[in-house]
Amino acid sequence: MSPARLALLLSIAVALLFAASLLVGPAALGLTASLDGLLSGGGEAAAIIMREVRLPRALLAALVGFGLGLSGAALQGFLRNPLAEPGIIGVSATASLGAVIMFYSGLAGASMLALPAGAMVGALVAVVVLLAIAAGNTTTLTLILAGIALSSLAGAFTSLALNLSPNPFASYEIIFWLLGSIKDRSMLHVWISLPPMIVGWTLILASARALDALSFGEEAAQSLGIDLPRARIMLVAGVALAVGAGVAVTGAIGFVGLVVPHLLRPLTDRMPSRLLLPSGLGGAALLLAADIAARTIVPAKELNVGVLTALIGAPFFLWLVTRSRRGLA
Amino acid sequence: MRCRPATAHTGGLAPAGARLPGGWSSPLAVALVAAALAGPASRAAADEAPRVMSLNVCTDQLVLALAEPSRIVSLSVLSGDPDYSYLHAQAGAFPNNAGVAEEVFIARPDLVVTGTYSLHNTTQLLRHLGLRVEEFGYTQTLDTIAGDIRRMGTILGHADAGEAMAATFERDLAALALPADAPRPTAVIFGQNGVATGAGTLADSVLAAAGFRNLAAERGFSGMAPYSLELLVVDRPDVVLLSARVEDAPALADQVTRHPAIASSGAMTATGIVPRGSWSCGGPFTLEAVRALRVLRDELLAAEDASG
Repeated sequence: MSPARLALLLSIAVALLFAASLLVGPAALGLTASLDGLLSGGGEAAAIIMREVRLPRALLAALVGFGLGLSGAALQGFLRNPLAEPGIIGVSATASLGAVIMFYSGLAGASMLALPAGAMVGALVAVVVLLAIAAGNTTTLTLILAGIALSSLAGAFTSLALNLSPNPFASYEIIFWLLGSIKDRSMLHVWISLPPMIVGWTLILASARALDALSFGEEAAQSLGIDLPRARIMLVAGVALAVGAGVAVTGAIGFVGLVVPHLLRPLTDRMPSRLLLPSGLGGAALLLAADIAARTIVPAKELNVGVLTALIGAPFFLWLVTRSRRGLA
Repeated sequence: MRCRPATAHTGGLAPAGARLPGGWSSPLAVALVAAALAGPASRAAADEAPRVMSLNVCTDQLVLALAEPSRIVSLSVLSGDPDYSYLHAQAGAFPNNAGVAEEVFIARPDLVVTGTYSLHNTTQLLRHLGLRVEEFGYTQTLDTIAGDIRRMGTILGHADAGEAMAATFERDLAALALPADAPRPTAVIFGQNGVATGAGTLADSVLAAAGFRNLAAERGFSGMAPYSLELLVVDRPDVVLLSARVEDAPALADQVTRHPAIASSGAMTATGIVPRGSWSCGGPFTLEAVRALRVLRDELLAAEDASG
């Protein structure tokens, strides 16, 4: 499939799912009432629901999904590791920990504005640690295991911090930070996370050529004229910004960055650069779909969206591991 | 009464001369437990109100209102928490317990009062150990308060005081009653995480007595139930009652109660209207919650009249 055609098809899927996401909600608004509310504005209930409740939710699902898909594709190419993904290698979990420390310690004075900063620092720490481990010419498996250890550690500290909070509601929020949710977000969440996300995406997309060169190995990449240290910094910062800003407003949503690049890779020419944009779009589509399912599977009791992505992603991960067992050892 | 020998046996294992809280030596405490087990008649013979230990924040406050301070062994840890305990300042003078059976057994009160819902296993264990445990209903409304006060008065040996307090409560509540055709603005109690308070709750009965319609109850929700932000915008109550933030410790639970869609819908929001802790538990002080909400209702109606 040509890259343009793939991107177009995925864009259509994202647009359809985005529209579907806007039409799902406990207030049973008809199609015309929804469209009217979205476009005409005013102080009516339909307009408020569409613009201030459903629109930020759909936007965040698309934006965060895009960042996760893009980061997954970038990490898989960069680390030359088919199992790399922000959730599995611990980037999302440490981003959660960073946000939790920033928010619940009261450093940010209960303001949401500081959440992305904490999450991005957390994500950055994880990516740098993993790079240091990967630099030692370790096997694919070592890196994944190190990531899982990092993930568990960050999850444990997150739980600990929330259990120790004197606020009785904090301990119930462990599930949000570890499994993610896009429930009841507002446009403020969109505005605080969008700028760092765009910078992160730009950095990742700008490293496309370096990713392709790296698929031939580091020495070959250098001989092709790639400034490796610079490419590394751009990718690390890009992933930290894209994942961190997302986690800050939706919690850690796993497996999107794993599943999507794998599903789309056969449709590309297998060059890492050609996989970046489709993976971003695919991630947006997957997260929009998962969020719709989270709201509709059990009416009246919303699921955490990370539960659904894990239900799809974890068996997929297991299948990948067993399939590539020989390559991992 | 196969539990009685066990009590005596364990008591006998206490070191000789061990002093218990309240200055009772252990043989005397054992005797008192035995007396308590024998029933109210022999306790009356001791001519002393029972030494009481409360394991629940709601019974804490009835005990505080009706028992002599010298007869209070300890109150639950929540008794000092201003968010749950209206009488938290008074409660500060007494030792706290965490509601663990061991603590109760060591303290050897004549009487344990607790709620039916919390600590159910503890209650069973304590009964098994031979302690007298009185449970108070978890579900309280304004209609159950007077009965609870009378019952607490009776079991604490102050039936007259309980009766007087309950009668005053009933009279004050009746004085607040509104005519059936009085205008009733709509309200939703929208707590942390968007959980509303529905029918069958103390807060629901307080809202009704103050002259509001509780939309959560009218939607068919009972107890604590999630009220989606979208429905809140559609229903647009006259006032959305928000709970105050827990100041020094932030939680995401407060975010939805400050969602901009609520303000856009035109619903008035009000935070901290009801005095802290006044409707967490039923007691004479719950009337303060009714009065505070009545003031809010009258202001709402006055503003409505002024505007049109």
